[in-house]
Order: sequence, then structure tokens, then C-alpha cells
Amino acid sequence: MSTTALIADDEPLLREHLQRQLALLWPELQVVAQARNGHEAIECFDAHGPDIAFLDVHMPGLNGVEVARAIDGRARVVFVTAYDQYAVQAFEQGAVDYLVKPIDPERLALTVQRLRRPQPQPQPQPADPRLAPLLDELSQRLRQQAPARQHLQWIRASVGQSVRLIPVHEVVYLRSDEKYTLVAWPGGEALIRKTIRELIDELDPDRFVQIHRSVIVALPHILHVIRGHNETADVHLRGRPEVLPVSRSFVHLFRQM
Amino acid sequence: METSPSDPTPLKRLLRSLNTGSLGVTTGFAFAAALLLSPIFELTFSVLLGRTLFVALLLLLVFSFAQRWPAQRLPAWLPRWLFTLVAVSLAAPLGTLLVYLAAVGGRAQEFFGSGPRLTGFFIITITALLLGLLIALTAQVREREAHARTLELQVQLQQSRLAKQDVDAQLALLQAQIEPHFLFNTLANVQALVETNSPSAAPVLRSLLAYLRAAMPRLQRGESTLGDEVGLVRAYLELMQMRMPDRLQFSVDVDAALLDRPFPAMALLTLVENAVRHGIDPSVTGGQIDVGGRTRAKGAQLWVQDSGIGLSEKADTGTGLRNLRSRLQAFFGADAHLDMLEATPQGLRAEITVPTWP
Repeated sequence: MSTTALIADDEPLLREHLQRQLALLWPELQVVAQARNGHEAIECFDAHGPDIAFLDVHMPGLNGVEVARAIDGRARVVFVTAYDQYAVQAFEQGAVDYLVKPIDPERLALTVQRLRRPQPQPQPQPADPRLAPLLDELSQRLRQQAPARQHLQWIRASVGQSVRLIPVHEVVYLRSDEKYTLVAWPGGEALIRKTIRELIDELDPDRFVQIHRSVIVALPHILHVIRGHNETADVHLRGRPEVLPVSRSFVHLFRQM
Repeated sequence: METSPSDPTPLKRLLRSLNTGSLGVTTGFAFAAALLLSPIFELTFSVLLGRTLFVALLLLLVFSFAQRWPAQRLPAWLPRWLFTLVAVSLAAPLGTLLVYLAAVGGRAQEFFGSGPRLTGFFIITITALLLGLLIALTAQVREREAHARTLELQVQLQQSRLAKQDVDAQLALLQAQIEPHFLFNTLANVQALVETNSPSAAPVLRSLLAYLRAAMPRLQRGESTLGDEVGLVRAYLELMQMRMPDRLQFSVDVDAALLDRPFPAMALLTLVENAVRHGIDPSVTGGQIDVGGRTRAKGAQLWVQDSGIGLSEKADTGTGLRNLRSRLQAFFGADAHLDMLEATPQGLRAEITVPTWP
């Protein structure tokens, strides 16, 4: 029975090319399936049970590392990646086989040579304990291809008929206005449903401070702070006429900074 | 203000606030008062000094305590300066009374029955009141000035830190215009085309060269036009479509009359790259990207709309997009806009409003 393989990559030209390169170096290898994304790769794996899986690490849906985890040692995995120093480092430390795109035929020949060597143990190999954390971290980084921050980056606000996305780095201040919260930025003002209390937890504390029960201000937009009567203060803004109140219980925030 | 009665060591903190400066000033004034008053008193100078010193130090303690009384426990109608002055005014007669009662061993009738002692009590009380209130007021004014300065300094410090981050971000933008991941993935595709003698190899290479030429900051020369930018955007989209033909469709439709207008390099490309990275690439099914431009009254409106997965509220779109608005305003004036809108039924629409052409 000949050896079987699965190729998973979201770029069709690269799937075809790898299959052709493999056909030249290893004519007996049978590529039983090509997958266009992570979910398809797992479906194909379950349907065909190939011996080898070539997995592009950067795929939509599930990334290559997540697919490898689902395969869980039931096939020999070769990762394929375009220039990514971190991925290469992780694979080298974890002693995992990997190919770098554009794939060098000599490098591929080496991988083929290794794959053709009979497996010392045909049953699923116990995973290298050092590998799991490395792959976890890599997977995390791949997820960040569409990076998400811990703090809010955009504020969604209805303006007229449309829904506008206001970048938080432009927001000057937020002020609660009965049921709604007013967002002020150089491009205008809008009302949102989130409360000051919810917002202060979601905004970057290095940039935004609450200065009053109903007011959050962005530090870079502060022109100066003038101390008023009775432990209160007024915040004057750069290039804006509004004056924001600092209440007694928040004056200390400026001291502690 | 940081001290509260529930604090484990309020007394320690209060004592720590009595620095050598305030102790020195207080002792000095007590000494001066004793010198001034000694001709009127029949007491020896050292006894008189002991009394004024005791009252002065008590007033300092009361003053420090009042200044540190937690703001939350101060009634809203009572400003702190008034609270402090009232406390000091009450402490002056009470402290003096204490000194005199101690001098007579606690026998009150001996104190109230003695004319000279009562006179002494009043003189010291009045002196303590006058000096105490004067010093307390001065100290408060100085503390307020120092506090205002600290506020300013702290705000400035934070602002300069954020300004530095902005500069760092701009440097990063200049250094990394072309992502190696994009470049090597594209080259892998070109290799695949070349090795199979595909007829599309030549046009793809042309697109790649057009893209590289425009995206290498050092190769840019002179002023670029909207036409150049549209060419760059088309080259980029052609490359991406070659790489993901089943997941990306696109159209580019900009008024021909706009093409020779000056335009900041990479401005439209930044929006298109953003649409691919955050809208199309993470999506299993992909989507459509439409780039458009129309002449408006004096200027123009340009847009990049995708039908991808849209932008999450925590999506970090990086420094390129962050700097784009300021670049547009530097180029077209303060009325230039960059608006990000949710597209229907899904995806993101980025709109550039050019108020007038420079």
C-alpha cells in the first residue's frame, strides 16, 4: 500500500505546486486530498486518514497549528510557512519538520528523505512535552494576524443611517448624558449606549482616565488642569472650548500618575 | 488626603508629614512670639518660651491633621481652607488653656481667680490666633501652588510619553513598508507560475514590480498622483487575487478626471491592505473589495469597501491606518476626513473626503 498525504493551504497555486514538486521527488506518494482552509483540512483528514499532512500555518478558519493539534499525532505533520521568524524558531526548537515558502526543491528532498524512512513506532508518537507550549504560543501569534488588543480600539456609534467606527485614539472625551454616553472626537460627536462604567473597564488606562462620575478624558488631549475650590479641578482641552470637571474623588488620580 | 481614619498608621503618617521645614518655621515663630511678649510677662523667658512653643506645635499638628482629613468625609458645603482655619482658630485658645491649666496643676479655680494668669492667657491666645491663621493661610496658598504644579507636571509627563509612542509608530511605518510575509508568499506564487510556464507569470511579475517600486519609500520620487495610487492599488489587488482567486473579487472605479490630481502616496493602499488583512483574509469564504472615487463640489470622495468579516471593536489595525488621517490633513488641510463605517450587509467601508485639491 502506498503512502498517502494531505496538502492544506489557502492559496491554490501553492497547493498545486507542492503536489507537483512532491510528484517529482516521490512518485509513489499519493496526495489524496487538498484542503483550502483549516476546517476543510480536518474534514479531509477524517475522510482519508492520510499518513502525512502538509499544513500551511496561516489559513483562515483554523490555522495550521490548530489543525495539527486536532490530528493529534495520527499523521506525520510537516508545517509550511512563508517568512515568519517566530514560526521557524518555534519549529526548530520543537524539532518539527517545516518548509519555508517559496519551497526550495533541495530542502523538500530532505524532508521527503526523512518521511520515507520507516517510522520507528507506527502508533501515534507521544507528543514532545516541550512542543505543546511552543505551538500554543505560535497559534496565539497566528491568531493575531488579525490582532486583537486587550483594550477597545474602536467605538461603534450610530450616526444618522450609518454605523460609524470611531478610533479610540481620536476620542477626546466621553461624557454620560442620561441614558446615553456622548463620544467627542475631532470629527464630531455621537451617542452610544455603553455606560461610562463599562467604558472605563474597556479603555486603555494609560490613555484614558475617569475624572468625574460621568466623565472620561483622553490624557493627550488635556491642555492643562486648573485646581478649583474644594478639591475639585477643571480640565481644559487642546483646541476645544469645553471645560471638563474633575470631582473630589478623582483629583487624587492626577497625583498618583 | 491619602490618610483616612481606617488607615493602620494614620498617626505615623501625620507625624511624617511634619517635615523639618514646617517644624523650623513653627519653632521660629514661637521663639519670636516669646521674645516679643517677654517684656509684658513676669515669667522667666524659658517658661514663656515653653508655653508659646507648646501652643505653636499643637497648632502645627492640628493644621497638618486638618489638611490631611479625607476629602470624602468633608461636607460638600465646607471647603478645606475654611475647615483648616476653623480648626486652627479653635486650637489656639484650647491649647493655651491647656498650658495654663498644666501650670497650675489642673486646679481651675486657681487659674480663673488669678488676674495676671487670665491676662497672660488672653495675650498668648490672641498672638497664637493671629500668627497661627497667618501662617496657616500662607502655607495653604503655597501648598495649592505646589499641587497645581504637580498636576501640570504629571499631565505633561504622560503626554510626552504618548507623543514618543507616536514617533515610534511612525518610524516603524517607515522601516517596514513591505511585509516579508506578503513578499515571500507572493514570490512563492510567482515561482509556481514560472515553473509551470504559465502565461500569467509575466503579468504577475509586472504587478509585483509595480507594487515594490511604489511601496519602497526610498524609490519614491517627486509628488505622486491619484493615478499612481490607483495603479498601486490595482497591482496589489491583482497580486492578492492571483493568490486567493476563490476568495477575492475586486473592482476599481475612479473618475478619470481625478487621476492627475496630487495624492499622498500609499494612502489608498493602506485602506486596501487593511480590507484584505482584517476583512477578507480571516474569512473562509472571502469577499469583494470595491475601490471608488467620485468628483465632488470642490474636491472628491474616495472609498474602499469590503464585504469581509468587518472590524471587531478590539481589532488593532496598526499604525498605518492610525497615521493616515493626520497625513491626509497635512496634505489636504484640516477639513479632510477619514471615516470608517460598517458596510451592509457586512464588512467595512472606509471613506476619504478631500475638501479641495491643493
